[in-house]
Formats: sequence, structure tokens, C-alpha cells
Amino acid sequence: MTDTAIRAEAPPNVAAASSREAILRRMRGSDAIFHFVTRLAAITVLVVLGGGIAALVFGAWPAMQTFGFGFLTSGSWNPVTEQFGAVAPMYGTIVTAVIAMVVAVPISLMIALFLTDLCPMWLRRPIGIAIELLAGIPSIIYGIWGLFVFAPFLQTTLQPALIDLFGNVPVLSNLFAGPPYGIGVLTAGLILAIMVLPLVTSISRDVFDTVPPVLKEAAYGVGCTTWEVFRYVVLPYTRVGVVGGFMLGLGRALGETMAVTFVIGNAHRISASVLAPGTTISATIANEFTEAVGDLYTSSLILLALILFVITFIVLAISRWLLSRVERRIG
Amino acid sequence: MNTNTTLSAPDVAQPSVDVSRLDVKIGVRDLKFYYGDALALKGINLSLYRNMVTAFIGPSGCGKSTLLRVLNRMYDLYPGQRATGEVLVDGQNILAAGQDPNLLRSRVGMVFQKPTPFPMSIYENIAFGIRLYERLSRAEIDARVESALRRVALWEEVKDKLHNNGLSLSGGQQQRLCIARTVAVQPQVILLDEPCSALDPISTAKIEELIDELKSDYTIAIVTHNLQQAARCSDFTAFMYLGDLVEFDQTHTMFTLPRDRRTQDYITGRFG
Repeated sequence: MTDTAIRAEAPPNVAAASSREAILRRMRGSDAIFHFVTRLAAITVLVVLGGGIAALVFGAWPAMQTFGFGFLTSGSWNPVTEQFGAVAPMYGTIVTAVIAMVVAVPISLMIALFLTDLCPMWLRRPIGIAIELLAGIPSIIYGIWGLFVFAPFLQTTLQPALIDLFGNVPVLSNLFAGPPYGIGVLTAGLILAIMVLPLVTSISRDVFDTVPPVLKEAAYGVGCTTWEVFRYVVLPYTRVGVVGGFMLGLGRALGETMAVTFVIGNAHRISASVLAPGTTISATIANEFTEAVGDLYTSSLILLALILFVITFIVLAISRWLLSRVERRIG
Repeated sequence: MNTNTTLSAPDVAQPSVDVSRLDVKIGVRDLKFYYGDALALKGINLSLYRNMVTAFIGPSGCGKSTLLRVLNRMYDLYPGQRATGEVLVDGQNILAAGQDPNLLRSRVGMVFQKPTPFPMSIYENIAFGIRLYERLSRAEIDARVESALRRVALWEEVKDKLHNNGLSLSGGQQQRLCIARTVAVQPQVILLDEPCSALDPISTAKIEELIDELKSDYTIAIVTHNLQQAARCSDFTAFMYLGDLVEFDQTHTMFTLPRDRRTQDYITGRFG
């Protein structure tokens, strides 16, 4: 019966058909413009990225020619004699990032596990929202809080405690040597830990959610405790995704500028102690760009930026690749 | 009409037994179960007998799986689900406060609808559960792994690739691996939640054989949508409908002389 009803409506008259064609033609025209505009917007991204790389390489060229690979191995940073090397800021960048990850990752995993498996429903949303808010705090606020509140706090509590505790332990006494300045590599690492925590937590929570409930039930079913389920089933199952989240957090920790610049002390030197001041690539650039007078000085800073770009690009590429493997498995 | 319906019911394989001679392994007394405010089990009373296979049948959503998940307190994992009444395992009420659910689950093992190998090797899948509760030497664990795999007739198929990932096995092999894993912990009761619904007929036949084989050592409860399966491998059958236990009897009686009209309609395929 519906069949006949449709057929009864069907025969179109010729005039209506031609006007419909005109409308269609106009629509096709505007649609072509729309396609062009969206494509242009998308291509802009590639142009900006390519332009950024080109500008970095171009700007870094004088320093590259002057120092060559020596830039990566030299520890000196002397604006007066114009001798520049990247070792101190690279060292600081890596050490602060490592401290941040060592502190943040276990805490993030615990939070994520609590949120996915153990948390009562009514508490789940507040904690989830708090974590997202933590991620939304501008880094300058972390910086100023770190300088005026967190660093003095560490100076009077954690740092003296560490010095006392490890003062007589062979290797660790070097690691925690020196007067408690408050600011320094450790403080910067801890601030970074707070900053990457929300990122690693939310990604871990998402990948933990991909574990089939029945797999967890099976593990509980042989008598596992929550910890054993987490350690032997959830973590192995989500390993790739967790590492992806870890790399994403690492990418952020490597590139973070403002908060680190406030609390790291900005000293171009490599010291064994994490309590001593140091510097990172991004902190060096932020601090010295305004006072970089010579061409070679400026160029060296740009070369530092290029190094940071390459490092974070590799880290982010790895994390994206790992996370995409998780998504493919979910299908 | 009555004769007709009994004729079209599935053939029963297990002989009938004298109930007064059997031990009660699990006693369920006035069990009510809630998902939040929704009542899913409306006061269930039944007994699972030692070394017997009890099948749970009924249309989807009737509470069969829910009942199974109460028996090892799997529902504990989810907030908002709760049970009232009594479930006595060897006379001890497992729903009472102070009972350790992990210990209970090592005594009441469970096999799921879909095979759930852990993300580790075939060997580790089985050794893992053993190590949770027992401190054994390497050789003893090896022996336990082998005997568990022999038990489920999987040993010959996997003995040369014990260190391959459990996920590399076929679906039927994975399910037998999961049963082996459950058996290796040496539980007293095994709960099977539609263990064959994701398997092909040959694997299904192997698992049914296995159930028959296992009941000499274990008390078994199986949820199934396959009436032939219930008729073939169970000694007792419980028919559930909308959260009620409609009828519970020896499989033999149930499939030849059902007392309740709804049971009769269900097993002859008139609804469900």
C-alpha cells in the first residue's frame, strides 16, 4: 500500500524539473567554494608547521656553521666570548622531565585505576572534574606559585630532610648535595610532575576503560585481589596505551617553559645534585632572548629551539603511534 | 496434547538419582537481588548437590546469570548491586559480612561466555592462578599446569607452544584454557556462564564431554540457552522466568514430566 502511494506522487512536471536543476547548479557552485575553503584551512596547518621548521633552520644556520656538532657536546655558554654549547640546557631539560615522570606516572596510574575500578559513583565526577581543572591552570600560575609558595616550602621541609637522609649514603649524597636553595632542578621537576599529572591520568583512565569487564571478572574469578588484577591483567593489557600517555606527558614536560623558568634557577651548569640550580632549553630561550645581542648568540638560541623541537617531535610521534595502536585494537 | 509436548522435548542423557542420598553443596535461601532499585531475583530457593551438574535455563533476562554471579559474589565489583537472603556454601553464608570474596572465588571458580585468556602465555595463564594461593616449586607448578591442561584435553594441542600468548589459540582452545585455569586453582564448585555460546559444534561437544568428566570432582552449575545441552549434560535443571525460579527438578523429570505449564511451553519451544 505504501508502494502505490509513493508511485502516485512520482510523476514530475517538466517546469518543476528545470527549476530544480537551476537550484542544484547554484548549490554545486557554493559547495565547491566551501570545499576550497575547508581545504585551504587544513593546508594552512601544514604551511605553518613547514614555515616554522624552515624559520628555525634558517635562524639556526649561523650557529650550526660555527659550532657544528660541537654544539651538542660543548658545555660552555659564554656570551662574552661567544662560545655556546647545548649540553647544560639539554641535561637540565632531560633531568627535570625524568623527575617529573618518575613522580607523576605512578600517582597518575593509581588515580586512573581508582577512578575506573574502585571509586564509588558519586565521587567519580568530582575527582574527574578536579583533574581536568588542574590541567586547565595556566603555567604562569604554576610558576608564580612555585616561586613564592612551593620553593620556600621545599627549602624548609623536603630539601633539608633529603640532605640529612642521604648525607652519608655514597652515591645518593652527591645526588642530594648542597645547601637547600628552594629553587633548583628538583623543584622544577616536581612542578612539572604536577603539570603532567592530569594529562597522564586522563589518558590512563581512558585506556583502562578499554579493558573488557569480563577479563577483569575472570581475574577476580580465580581469586585475584584488586592489586593483582591491576598488575597482571589491566597493566599488561593496556601497556601500549599507558606508554603512549607517558610519552605525551613527557612531551609536555620537555617543552614546558614558564613554570620551569620561575623555579629552576637559570644557571648554565651541570651539577650532580638535583638541589642545585640548573636550566632547561626552554627556560634558557625565555630568559635570554631579550638580551641576546650578537647574531651568533641569537642564532644559538634558535638552534636550541630547533633541538627542543626535534626532541619533542620524536616523543610526540612515538606517543601518537602507540595510542593509535590501542585505538586500532578496540576497532 | 500432553503426550505430544513431552515427545518433542530434548532427549535426556543423565539417569535419575535418589535425591535423599545427595549432599547439598550450595544452599540458596530466599535470595533477592537488586540492580539499584530493580529487583532481578525475587526470592530464590534451591540446592546445588555435590558432584552433580545443575543447568539453569530460561529466556534472556530471567536472572540465570545474575544468580550465578551471586554464587561467587562477582556482583561485589559493581556499586549499586546487592543481594539479600542466604547463600550457604558448605553451610557458611557467603553473603554475610566478613566473608573474604577473594577466598570464596578461589573455591567457586567461574568460566565466562566469551573466552577470557589473560594477556600472558598459555603456561602463565594457568600458573598465575596457582601461584596466588600456593607456594610451589617450579617443578610442582609445571606438573599442575600439565595436569590441568590434560584435564581439559588441551595438553596434546599446546604442549609444544606453552610460551606462546594465550590469545594465539582458537576460540574453543581458549575456552578450554579458561576451564583449565579454573580447574588448576582446585576449586570445589565451577560456575559456567553459557560457556559454549561463542563456540563451534565440535568445540561445544568437547566442552560437554569435559563437563561430564569434571563432575566426579566438582560441583558444577551451568547457564545455557541450549536446551539440548542442558538435557545432555545436567543432572538437575532449574527453569527461571522473570526473576522467579519456576521449577527445579531432576533433568530427567523436568524434560519428560514438567509440572508447570510455563516450563512445558519453554522446553517445547513455544516461547522464549
